[in-house]
Amino acid sequence: MTKREEPKPSSNESSTITTRASRSRLKSILIEVAIQAANYALILLVSLLAGGLVILFAGKNPIEAYGALFDGALGGTLKIADTLDRASVLILAGLAAAVAFRTSVWNLGLEGQLYMGAFAAAWVGFSFHGLPLAIHITLVLLAGIVAGALWALPAIFLKIRWNVNEVVSTLMLNYIAILFTAYLVAFPFKDPAALFPGTPVLDASARLPRLIPGSVLNIGFILALVLAFVVNWFMFRSKQGYELRMVGLNARFAGYAGMPVKQSAFLAMMLSGALVGLGGAVVIAGFFGRFITSFSVGYGWDGMLISLLAQNHPLGVIPAALFYAGLSNGGMAMQSATGVDQAVVTVVKGTLLAFVTVKVFIDFLNRRLRKWAPSTS
Amino acid sequence: MAEAVALLDITKTFPGVVANKDVSLSVQEGEIMAIVGENGAGKTTLMRILYGLEKPDTGTIQVKGKEVKLPSARAAIAEGIGMVHQHFKLVPSYTLAQNVVLGVEPRRGLFVDQKRELEIVNDLSKRYGLAVDGERLTCDASVGEQQRAEILKALYRGADILILDEPTAVLTDGETEELFGMLRRLAADGKSILFISHKLREVLAISDSTTVMRRGEVVGTVQTAATDRRELAEMMIGRETVGGRIREDSVQLGEPVLEIIDLNVQDARCITSVLDANLVLRQGQVLGIAGVDGNGQVELVEAITGLRPVSSGRILLDGKEIQNGKPRQIRQAGVAHIPSDRNATGVALEAHVWENLIAVDYFASPYSGKMALALSRIFADAKDVILRFGVQTPSLKSSTNNLSGGNIQRLIVARELGLERAQVVVAAQPTRGVDIAGTEEIREMLLDYTREGAGVLLISADLDEILVLSDLVMVMYEGHLSDAGKVDDTIRQRVGQLMTGGSIDDQT
Repeated sequence: MTKREEPKPSSNESSTITTRASRSRLKSILIEVAIQAANYALILLVSLLAGGLVILFAGKNPIEAYGALFDGALGGTLKIADTLDRASVLILAGLAAAVAFRTSVWNLGLEGQLYMGAFAAAWVGFSFHGLPLAIHITLVLLAGIVAGALWALPAIFLKIRWNVNEVVSTLMLNYIAILFTAYLVAFPFKDPAALFPGTPVLDASARLPRLIPGSVLNIGFILALVLAFVVNWFMFRSKQGYELRMVGLNARFAGYAGMPVKQSAFLAMMLSGALVGLGGAVVIAGFFGRFITSFSVGYGWDGMLISLLAQNHPLGVIPAALFYAGLSNGGMAMQSATGVDQAVVTVVKGTLLAFVTVKVFIDFLNRRLRKWAPSTS
Repeated sequence: MAEAVALLDITKTFPGVVANKDVSLSVQEGEIMAIVGENGAGKTTLMRILYGLEKPDTGTIQVKGKEVKLPSARAAIAEGIGMVHQHFKLVPSYTLAQNVVLGVEPRRGLFVDQKRELEIVNDLSKRYGLAVDGERLTCDASVGEQQRAEILKALYRGADILILDEPTAVLTDGETEELFGMLRRLAADGKSILFISHKLREVLAISDSTTVMRRGEVVGTVQTAATDRRELAEMMIGRETVGGRIREDSVQLGEPVLEIIDLNVQDARCITSVLDANLVLRQGQVLGIAGVDGNGQVELVEAITGLRPVSSGRILLDGKEIQNGKPRQIRQAGVAHIPSDRNATGVALEAHVWENLIAVDYFASPYSGKMALALSRIFADAKDVILRFGVQTPSLKSSTNNLSGGNIQRLIVARELGLERAQVVVAAQPTRGVDIAGTEEIREMLLDYTREGAGVLLISADLDEILVLSDLVMVMYEGHLSDAGKVDDTIRQRVGQLMTGGSIDDQT
């Protein structure tokens, strides 16, 4: 059973179908949505129970701990805004992973591409002065996009030219990127005024405008949301997106049908690197204001997990990333308020992912719900 | 001579296919029996039953006159039955000796006695005249030596009855000669050998008796000394006249539309598998290419459709060279392609039905603009096409793997023939796995196409399909294409000669 949500029928198309057909289609879409919702609700419940058990074993009160977690993530406007801010980079990383995984391009180098994008953005942000805000920000974001894509380039080149497995090459490039940027901020670009290795602070004209006073939430979040819809359109409505998906589903078939298999893999890898590189730029220009070594708490890795959680659907990435952001922010609050280690959050995330990927409930629900409400054909 | 093994009234069905139907055969001690037949005749299934890998639905197996049950290969080995598979099952990083004794190693305490291991293999090797260097790493050994190790492996486990599944398919001529020498020695030693093949030359050279299978049934068993290639070929492909022919004989042929001149193509292992092939396909013509699978048909088709580079020679479409063109260019020039392996190359199973339907047309007007797919137009035409070609699907947005095999085949035919007009249709196994009604419809669709002036190149391992549809028949054998002529009363005999490595002139 595919879990992919259907692109909604366009108005032109629905005019060619009779009302009855569209009603029955609506019904089957509703059933599909209901199944998915029930699936995620069940999985969430089991995951929270697993985390609760761990808290219990640690001798703490799970209800109290989860209360603190919930409060930390969503307790008040500012906390919600901070959660949304954290979600921006996660959405972009998740989109990067979704584009790659849908195309069967196994880009495990998101973290490295994120670092390169972040550093390039920071460099443009502190090196140029006196630019108008709109231009400076655009350049900062472009730098992130280009650097992220460039850092994905060697892996896909090796793959296309010599059939080198991109899993290994992208993975290795992560280490190079992280250590290389660490060197850059430790020596050539070190801000002598900073206590820890980091670049100078970005010019004010390079900082992403904030949306709510008192919160770090900035236009990066809106950008990420818009891009989720753009990527969704691209993947499901555009020619290239269709090619990418067909190549991802069966490359031999795509080649037989005359699709440009190698170019598609190349395009997917570039898009993936660009999206996560932009994520790096957003987090630097929106939150940190400078590049710092190990600024990322695994955003690139989380992006892959978020994509898997969203079953590689671009729009599904939004709730999945929001959920991850909430868990992370809530986890920190929980630790400081109740002393429960935020590693519990990792347990919840892990359980969640395991259940989503092994599809325990979805098959069960499909069997049950379809019997109860047979889908009309 | 005593009877070594007997299979009695074995029937085995798989969903939708009868693989073996009331099959009986018996082998004596010291006898080499060849089992021959076309692809899908049921040879391999029968041997898998004897080796305990498949359970027969009905029928009994006797070993040395005693009825036995063979629920597993282990049970078969215990009864003295050994099998050498076509694709060897050896661990590449082990030595040959380690592979021979694998699972039944001589032990000293907790450890494998490596000295003893080597002695055993050397002894066996000497005793049966099977030259195997036990110390050699398997991945360094030649194919012939690996095969000898496989045979030793069976003998070490006490096999008296050896099954060899197409043992010569991977061997050079010299290695084949050696193998035959070894088999004769083993037979002289009292071992019984079952030898699966579809190469009649080899069968005549090595076997004492030959059992011919066809469509899951035994056609007959003959003493090899008392038969010849022609008789065996006739038994293999039947001698009845062409039945159910739906192609009218008086078709007006037009200009050549596809010409292949001195074509050479290499396969994935860089072995030339199409050799100096020539053919001319005319407008309105169905040209059938018969032959046992694996004689270069796949490479020929892939070369024509641009999926595989041509090493030398020319392919002309309407007089223009298309060899080594890109698949899309060749398609746009007017070549449609129904691929033989529908699930691997014909569709993306997890994609929606509509996505598979537009796979060769999506990129240009009217199905897409500069960037976006024109979904409303796509759905309108797709709806039309699945009605016209009778593709049964819950909806255009159903996942393709919900469709039956026959419906997936219809979907492919609909895509290839429905949305655009091609000049040449390359149809490889176009009705494989399709029900009778569907088969007839697909065949009619192909013939309709020729009436519009297109040429159809029909590649099929199913000779009946070739004979039902073709105006002209060619046969592919070991990379060579030879002309078997028009479909007439003696076409089966001619095809039979050619597809088993003979030439038409053999029959005087």
